[in-house]
Order: sequence, then C-alpha cells, then structure tokens
Amino acid sequence: MRMMSLYKDKDTIIHKIDPLNKILYILASILITMLISDFKILTLTLVFSFLLLAIGKVIKNVFPIISFSLIVLVTIVVIQGLFNPNNKIPLFNIGQFVFYKEGIIYSFLLILRVLNILCAFSLLILTTKPSDLIENLVRRGLSPKLGYVLASVLQIIPQMLSTMDTILDAQRSRGLETEGKLIKRLKAFIPLIGPAVMNSLISTRERAMALEMRGFNSNIKKTFLNEHNETSMDKLIRYLIIALIIFTIVWRLVWLK
Amino acid sequence: MSKKLWSFKFSTASLVLIPAAVGINYIGKLFAGLLKLPLWLDSIGTMLASMLAGPIIGALSGAINNIIYGLTMDPISFVYAITSIAIGITVGILMYRGLIKNIYLAILSGIIVALVAAIVSTPINIAFWGGQTGNIWGDALFASLMAKKFPMWLASFLDEFVVDLPDKVASLVISFLIYKGLPKSLINLYSSDDEIERL
Amino acid sequence: MAKIVVEGLKYRYPLSQKLALNDISFEINEGEFIGIIGANGAGKSTLCQALTGIVPLFFKGDYGGRVIIDDVEVAKSNLSEISLKIGMVFQNPFTQITGSKLTVYEEVAFGLENMGFEREEMKRRIDDALMLLDLYRHKDKNPFDLSGGQMQRLAIASIIAMQPKIIVLDEPTSQLDPQGSNEVFKAVSDLKKKGITVIMVEHKVEKLSEYADRIMLLHDGRLIDFDTPSKIFSKDDLKDYGVVEPVFTRYCKKIGLKDERGLYPVTLDEAVNLVVKKREHNS
Repeated sequence: MRMMSLYKDKDTIIHKIDPLNKILYILASILITMLISDFKILTLTLVFSFLLLAIGKVIKNVFPIISFSLIVLVTIVVIQGLFNPNNKIPLFNIGQFVFYKEGIIYSFLLILRVLNILCAFSLLILTTKPSDLIENLVRRGLSPKLGYVLASVLQIIPQMLSTMDTILDAQRSRGLETEGKLIKRLKAFIPLIGPAVMNSLISTRERAMALEMRGFNSNIKKTFLNEHNETSMDKLIRYLIIALIIFTIVWRLVWLK
Repeated sequence: MSKKLWSFKFSTASLVLIPAAVGINYIGKLFAGLLKLPLWLDSIGTMLASMLAGPIIGALSGAINNIIYGLTMDPISFVYAITSIAIGITVGILMYRGLIKNIYLAILSGIIVALVAAIVSTPINIAFWGGQTGNIWGDALFASLMAKKFPMWLASFLDEFVVDLPDKVASLVISFLIYKGLPKSLINLYSSDDEIERL
Repeated sequence: MAKIVVEGLKYRYPLSQKLALNDISFEINEGEFIGIIGANGAGKSTLCQALTGIVPLFFKGDYGGRVIIDDVEVAKSNLSEISLKIGMVFQNPFTQITGSKLTVYEEVAFGLENMGFEREEMKRRIDDALMLLDLYRHKDKNPFDLSGGQMQRLAIASIIAMQPKIIVLDEPTSQLDPQGSNEVFKAVSDLKKKGITVIMVEHKVEKLSEYADRIMLLHDGRLIDFDTPSKIFSKDDLKDYGVVEPVFTRYCKKIGLKDERGLYPVTLDEAVNLVVKKREHNS
C-alpha cells in the first residue's frame, strides 16, 4: 500500500467534475436530509446519487462503504421499532416483542438519511484523487501548510505501517507475549506502540528541517507545477448546487410557517 | 508545551507532528486489534500531539485524523471529527493547567476526556443513529434504558459514555506513560516560544 | 561570490549545559569541496546546521559570533531565503521526502512551488536537477518506490533545483548500502564539477580524501585543524579526536612511507605513485 485511498481511476465525466462541486454536493445532501423528512424527496435524492455513481462507474464500490454502517442500520430498526418513545400503533410482533409503526417509520427515515449522505460522500471519495482534491482546495485558499499536512498523511501512514512488523518481530524475539490473559495483552501494548511513537517523533525533527530548507515557511505566494483550468460546465454545476441549497433552506423556512 | 496556548502560528515541527499523530492513532488501533483488546486505543496520537504542542495542534490532529479516515475508509468518520477536535482541545488544556502530572491525575483526566467526548458525540449519535453508537455493549444498555422509558438523550449519552470511559482512560494513561519516556530535547522541539539568546 | 565566512561561532542547544560549538572561525572559498570529520558529539551536525541557518533559526538556543554567506548574516535572515543560497541534505533519505507528492518530478517541484517560481522556470530547473542527479528516467515514479541511493539523490536534486551555490551534506551515505553510497559520492563530485561549493560530513574517510580539497577536524565543539587531506591525516594525534585515517595512510604510517614534505599518502593512487617514485629513486 503506497497511499491510502478509495479512489477508483476511471475515465468518466463524473471523474472530471471539479472536486469543489462534489464537496458542495455533499453539503447539499447533508442539508436536504437534515432539513427535510419526506420519504419521497429523500428517495428521489438517493436515486439521483446512485445515478451519478453509476455514470462514474463506481456503483459496486459503494456497497463496501455502506457495509461499514450496516449492522448499526439493522439494529436501529429493531431498537426504534421496539422502544421509540412515540410508539403507539403496533405493526407486528415477533414472539413477545411488539414492533410499532412510529418507531419503524422513524428508523427508515434515519436509514434514508445515512444512505443519502454515504452516497454523496462516496461520489467524492471514489471519483476524486485525494491529491487532486487537496491541491484544488489549496488553489482556492486552503493554507498550503495544511494542504501539505493532509497530503502527507496519506503517504506517511503506509510508511509508518511498514515499521509495525519490524517492531512486532523485534519485541516478540525479546520474549514479549502477545497472547493470553487480558492484563498480559494490555501490558504488551506499550512496548509495541512506544517504539513506533519514538520513531515517528524523531523523524518529525529531520522532516521539519528538510521542509524548512525547501521554502516551507516562505512568505512568497505559492505557484503550482500543474495547470488548472475551470470549465464553464464546472461553474454551471456550482451555481446549480448553490441554488439548490438556497432553495432548500427557503422552502424549509416557508414550509415551517 | 507552548506558553502561547491558543496561537495559530504553527512551527514547522508542530505541523509535521500532525501526520505523525494521525499515524500513531492508526497504529494504536491496529495494535489494539492485534492484541484483541476490548478497546479502540485510536486517539493516542491526538492526545500526544495535544500534550506536546498544545490544544490547537491536538485539535487539528484529531480533525485531520477523521478527515483522512473519512476519505479512505468510512465517510461517517467525517462527522465525528468534532469529537476528535474536542478530545484534542480537552487534553491540551488539561496538560497546560498541569493536570496530567502523575498516573492518578492521568486517570482522572481520562474520565474528563471521556465525559467531553460523550457529550459531543451524543447529538451526532441521535441525528444519525437514533441514539446508538454501534458498540454491542453500549447499544444493549441503550436498548434496556429505552425499554425503561429513559429519555433518549440520556440513554444515548450513557451508551456512548460506558464505551468511551475505559477507552479514553486507558488511552490517556498510555499517552502519559509514553510522554514521560520522551527525551527532553524532543519535547522542547514542538514548543514555539524559545528565544535566541546572544552569547 | 559564494564565500563563507565564520567568525567566533558559539552555540548551545536549548536545555543543554554544554557548548555544541565553541569559538569556531574559518573561511571557505567558492567551488571548494570541504570534508568535515570528528567523533560523535564533536559538533559536525551542529556546524552544518549553523551554516544553513537551522541553528539558530530552527533550534533557537544560545548563539554567538557570525556566519556570513554572500555578505548576508544567516542568523538575521530567514530559512526560505537562505535556502536559495545554501542547501542542506540530511542523513535519512526517507524523512527528506516530503510525502505530499506522488512523483519524483513533483517532489523536486515542492521547493520551487513554495518559492513562487514561474511554471516554465520550474520545469527547466527540475529537468536540469534530475539530469544532473541521473534521475530523469525515474521522473514518473513514486518517490517511495526508489532505492535508498536513488532516494538520497532525489533529496539532493530537490535541493539543487533551488540552485544554491553551496550545498551542505550531513552524513548523506550513513544509512545507505555500498552501492547507494557510491551513487551519492558520484553525484556529489558532479556537483563540484558544476562549480558548486560542497561541504560534507562523512565517516568514509577513504572517499573523502579522494574528493575533498580541505578537511575540517572537529572535537568537542572546537575546530582542531582545517587543512588538506594529507596534512590532516598525517597528524599523529588523530586517535585523541576519535578519528581514523584512510586505510592507505594507516598502512604507510606503519611502514614509514612518506613523501619529501613528510606527509603520508591519503588515497590509493597517491600511495602507489609514492611507492613507484621511491623505487625509481632507489634504483
């Protein structure tokens, strides 16, 4: 593993969309799912996200991401169906357990929300190279130093992981026991993490110096090796999403009254 | 530890501490899994960053930790960035106030961190999961409290707190023990208030 | 004009009681290749850091005297400006890779982007640096996929792209295998041929004697001697400073083989020439 990423390299129109627009799409998705509790609208937005994922040829990569939350989503139905404080109308029962309509409806709403947000995030994550995303944000005013930190994490973590095996072998050969009673295993944790921490902290010293020797703290305005042109299509998409966000907020405010 | 507690002028050393902290979080999580410990131990890097370079760097480490997890594994991790930020800030302040001096105070501080983490996480858990955490033991408690007609926010808070308490106490104690073993020159590297004295 | 003047340099790290550098003065001329030797804790790394401004701008601490490069006093400048005059390469190739770039080409661009160079100028400099360090054919590789020697050459290329007149290398081969070390030595001698002033801390004294114009001997933060390799390694008290001479010199010392100036040879060539000369002289 050279770099941590869920990015799938494909040549589709979705991949070419400005990363900022995909971030705006996430924001819009969160806003809509939090402000609107309408099954039809939430289903519609979910279908739309799936459509975009399909155009980006990454639809089958979404399911592993959803599966992270699958168990919680299932237990939500059970717990809300049984115990939601608003439960009144019994829907069905399994043995002595009675499931109520209000709880089940509420749990389905939660699931729709989570799926909407997961799919919107997946659109960004699966179709955008992390380094492109970060460089794009730096061009738009994110501090270059924070941009550096974000980009370097993606490659430095796999580098640190490669030292894990070395540490494990070294400590085991010195007689460290990593099996047995809980207290024994707990005690084994410090000899394992300790050297990893020391290694990584000591390397921060040299890395910081090396960065300083390459203008990391320069006050000059940063330039970019790679060119970047925003298309009129990207602008159009951006205005559309912003309009959608404003419309949702206004609609919600009017609707509440 | 920086005297300028809330400074946003970061030294290069404290900035490169952030990727290291995120890596330590991740390695902590993997070692905990390897040893089959019933804890996550995935905030040790954030806590050490707070102890070494103050609450802002700690908070940044926490936020970036969750952003990276969100980008590379589970998008839900993004929303819990707020919890990680709270952990970073809390540990930074406790350290600055001199409250993490010995192992007993580290345990006490761990309890405070767990409280803060649970308070911050509860609204997120309610909005996303109807109050659950996804942890079997915590959710079992949540279900039984809900059955006894406890208010949802309280049941959800306790669900998160019983899960966080052992994890955050253990994490902070481990961070404290590692911190104690670091060479002075390394601890001094991340403080930004040294002045050059003329000889 | 890339002349280095050091006057009465003293330095103590924060939290330390001991002076890491104690009253050091010397001058280095443009285009020289300078070796620095000494035992552990002699102050070699600290001196490198003081030449490049890392001491006292990065490490702070107590500082006295002056380091002047091109009429600029480094302690009064800032590190990004100094980096255009004097560059520094460190021991560990891994920690010098920024980690934020995906290709060798982009990695070299990092410093140039920070210094705000125009795209065309940037590309010109990157091409030159990669050619000089013989890395051009690896330009699209991930930096972490390079061998140790290649990675260290990438670190050098990244510094060279900033086009400093002087480059300081602090034990650049200590973490490399023999092949990697040779690659780095070859690269460094190419830099000297380009007219760049090279200052290098190195334990491999055989190699150092081959390339260095002058060698600086440090001990306990003090400058003991600063002279040609043959004069430095002909000293008979090297052991007191925790330093060994090149293997050829040690052998010649043992058999008492020295030239008409009373100096021992420091490279294989010198030793062979001297033996041939003596033999001709005898017959």
